[in-house]
Amino acid sequence: MSTVAGRLAELREDFDRSFADPVRRHDDEHVELLTIRAGGRPYALRLSQTSGLHPDRPVTPLPGPQPALLGLAGFAGQVVPVYDLAALLGHPVAERPRWLVLAGGNPPLGLAFHDLDGHVRAANADIVQEANDSDAAGSVRGMVGLPGGVRPIIDVPATRATVHALTGHQVTDQEAAR
Amino acid sequence: MTDRDPLRYFRIEAAELVDQISAGVLDLDQQPSTEVVARLLRYAHTLKGAARVVKQPEIAEQAHAFEEVLVPHRDDASPLPADEMRELLRLNDAIAGRVAALSAPVQNQTADVRRGGAAQPQGAPHRANRPAPAPPPAGPAPMAPPLREGLAAEAAGPSKPAAPAGSSPHPATTAGRNPTPESAPHGEPATGSPAPEHTPAAGESAATEHTPAAGESAATEHTPAADGSATPEQAPAAESGAATERTPAADGSAAPGHAPESGAAAGRVVPAEGGAAPERAVTADLDELLDAIGEANSRIAPLREGSRTLATIHRRVETLGDRLRTGRIGGGDAVTRGSVQRLGADLGALGRRLIDAVDQVERELDEVRGRAEGLRLVPAGTIFTALRRAVRDAADAEGKRVRFHATGADVRMGPQLLNQVNGAFLHVVRNAVVHGIEPEPQRLAAGKPAEGSVTVHVERRGRWAEFRCADDGRGFDLDALRRTALERGLLSPGAEPDPRTLIDLVLHGGISTSPAVTDVAGRGIGMDVARDVADQLGGSVSIDNRPGLGATVLLVVPLTLLSMNGLLVEAGEHTVTMPLDSVRRCVRLSAEEITAAMDTGRLAHEGRVVPFLPLCRALHQETELTGTGVAIVLSADGETAAIGVDRLAGTTTLVARPLPDLAPAAPVIGSVSIDLDGNPRLVLDPHGLVAEARHISPTAGGQSTESNGRRMPILVVDDSLTTRMLERSILESAGYEVDLAASGEEGLEKARAREYGLILSDIDMPGIDGFAFVAETRADPTLSHVPAILVSSRATAEDRRRGTEAGASAYVVKGEFNQEELLSHIRRLILR
Repeated sequence: MSTVAGRLAELREDFDRSFADPVRRHDDEHVELLTIRAGGRPYALRLSQTSGLHPDRPVTPLPGPQPALLGLAGFAGQVVPVYDLAALLGHPVAERPRWLVLAGGNPPLGLAFHDLDGHVRAANADIVQEANDSDAAGSVRGMVGLPGGVRPIIDVPATRATVHALTGHQVTDQEAAR
Repeated sequence: MTDRDPLRYFRIEAAELVDQISAGVLDLDQQPSTEVVARLLRYAHTLKGAARVVKQPEIAEQAHAFEEVLVPHRDDASPLPADEMRELLRLNDAIAGRVAALSAPVQNQTADVRRGGAAQPQGAPHRANRPAPAPPPAGPAPMAPPLREGLAAEAAGPSKPAAPAGSSPHPATTAGRNPTPESAPHGEPATGSPAPEHTPAAGESAATEHTPAAGESAATEHTPAADGSATPEQAPAAESGAATERTPAADGSAAPGHAPESGAAAGRVVPAEGGAAPERAVTADLDELLDAIGEANSRIAPLREGSRTLATIHRRVETLGDRLRTGRIGGGDAVTRGSVQRLGADLGALGRRLIDAVDQVERELDEVRGRAEGLRLVPAGTIFTALRRAVRDAADAEGKRVRFHATGADVRMGPQLLNQVNGAFLHVVRNAVVHGIEPEPQRLAAGKPAEGSVTVHVERRGRWAEFRCADDGRGFDLDALRRTALERGLLSPGAEPDPRTLIDLVLHGGISTSPAVTDVAGRGIGMDVARDVADQLGGSVSIDNRPGLGATVLLVVPLTLLSMNGLLVEAGEHTVTMPLDSVRRCVRLSAEEITAAMDTGRLAHEGRVVPFLPLCRALHQETELTGTGVAIVLSADGETAAIGVDRLAGTTTLVARPLPDLAPAAPVIGSVSIDLDGNPRLVLDPHGLVAEARHISPTAGGQSTESNGRRMPILVVDDSLTTRMLERSILESAGYEVDLAASGEEGLEKARAREYGLILSDIDMPGIDGFAFVAETRADPTLSHVPAILVSSRATAEDRRRGTEAGASAYVVKGEFNQEELLSHIRRLILR
């Protein structure tokens, strides 16, 4: 009985303290990461490079030349193309991804993945940079050591660049559309 | 309301009259007739009377002066002397300016912003240092009428119907209208005869010219003449019978005692009054929107009914619960069971009713939303009066006679876009008059009519709007262009640029930077503005030059918002929208008919065989049509095809927007709209569907999807480097691989060395010409299956005939050169 009461008191205290704690701030020593799975593989995304995380968003399939393009989703009246991260990373799976993040920057772009493992704060020291960033190709930039293993970090701007390249984006999109 | 603002109705009426006067003066300029004089006298007189009533003596005086000029010509069908014409235009501008100044501050602001927008391309700072840019084609005053054009149709409703209302309880309104009947005598003498107002030769163009002004055909303009009664101007407002019929009620709202009407009626009056801005919708559109809202409202009734039923059921459940709780279940279980069963049945029925009702409400709201979005768009005709005026003013300044003709007034688009195009086209039409149309003696010597012609045509093609300005003048002076280009170092000395290259220089702004103020430079500046606008809007501009015969400037801009009626169709898991205006028929197909159509890729329709394309296949879906279905017969690009879908799910009004960046789509997808849940819904492109159906059809279904991925390369044969590059860029942007050959001989060599899906050939080339080249490929068994398209500036029927004889599958005139047309030919013909 006493252990239950003790546990209860502890929980209550935790709960109360969570309000008293100052809001954690971003700082230079840490990065906020989303730990995700795309096509069954673990990855991490920098939260600061995204502008929204959405589960189960309806995506209207858009037939076209890009297999990685899942379709279009509506966000507050805006139509956003949604790409399958697993396909962009080169290991497409048949299963439709459940989650999507909105990539920061323009034009609007959604990146979809299958599972969300969580949201973690990692120390900068735990992040392993590529030996030479300028040589890096693809969407992965660096790795992060987390409990449960090391995850490659998907760089959102690099992923955006990949999508831009795939679609030949498109200063003269009116030409391409004709 | 009227008490607070005595000018309220005057503003509406005056703005409308100014529009009618502006259009009428231009009519008079082009086709003098007693009818037009009478009409103008009537308008001026009405305006004078109304202005006096509301104590606007300046307007009244100007209207009077306007009348004074016209009165001597009442029975005189000959043209007015030039100075009198000029005076009329001046008075017209002065009146327009004063009336515009009366508008409420908010409206002024709107008008200023819009005017600024329109003037922006010519006033842009970076252009200030350009040599002697052509003076603004039209000052603010001529700009004013188009700003209010939309009102011409809409305001007529609310303001005019008051005229007959001698019974109107409102003194101010009645007084304001009293002058109207007085004006009838002016109108009657001339209009008493129902004779056609225009000379036969002018009749056709007049009809089109009126279209923008009144938003209706010339036929409606005749109506007041025939009527001549106290309410002559009612007819032009007759967008629809309903519009006119309703408006008296709207007016009545000014009077107390019409309380039940006033809510809805005010809704109609207010937009009409604010109509000074062009983006305001015409009355008919608002009426349709209100109808749709009313319809949606009425669908709420079943929901209310349902909630009452629900309350009853709730009471019964409580009663039953009470009885269970207190154990008073007299009569055993049977009663309770019966009770519960009845409740269950009632609940089920209620559920179904609610679902139906919600579905209906949702559909109606969809309709409301679509119509409301559509109100943001304005008809292209709203810029025509300003263009006419610019042509008129330029012709006057140059001492030329030029007829202006405009078509396509009904094409609707965003006001912002239209405004920018207006700014560019003011230059373009003015250029056509100043630099294109020759002086009269020269025209006569060239065997042309003394009167020049400038034509503006607006058309919607898919999600693009085309603005075309054609003149029958001398065309661009290629020699002068070449000289200027050489002087500017744009061409290497000794180079022999072809006409296309020279014209491209004009388009790319190389010419207008010439320091010397020449005709050529002047024309270049006009084109700079057009190009700037095209760039800003993400469109393109091109010139078709026909030396000695005239020039056509084509501005193509994407329509960002496009209002359309759509047919909702279901295919597999997709619900997509088909633009209704290209749907010819829907035919229900039995399971066997579906199977046959799928197997053959063809469908017999009205005695013809048309290609049949299952929508699932066009959308790259796994599923195929099974069971019964519907064939939607579509027309686009003059071709017909049948599209197979599972079922139809109703019609909807929607606003389509372009696909976002980073979302390349199959050509059958044209645009996207947003449904009520905020999710994107695809809108099909009829052109793409027809083209796709025609590709797939010859392969008799089945294999088509595999071949979709591979496209065979295209061979372009043309001696002009510019044309080769232009065609290559068009084709490559459309996703084709392109090889080039600079002569027929090289073309033959290349064609034999590689398997091409299509050959595109010029006609005039050194060595063997295009006809011979095509004929040779037809004679060669290894090449005869590869379709060939001739692309040439030759446009005669004889050339087309020779092309067909040589075996060309299509003939595209460079003059009419249009990427979309070319690509649609290619999509239709290319081998996969």
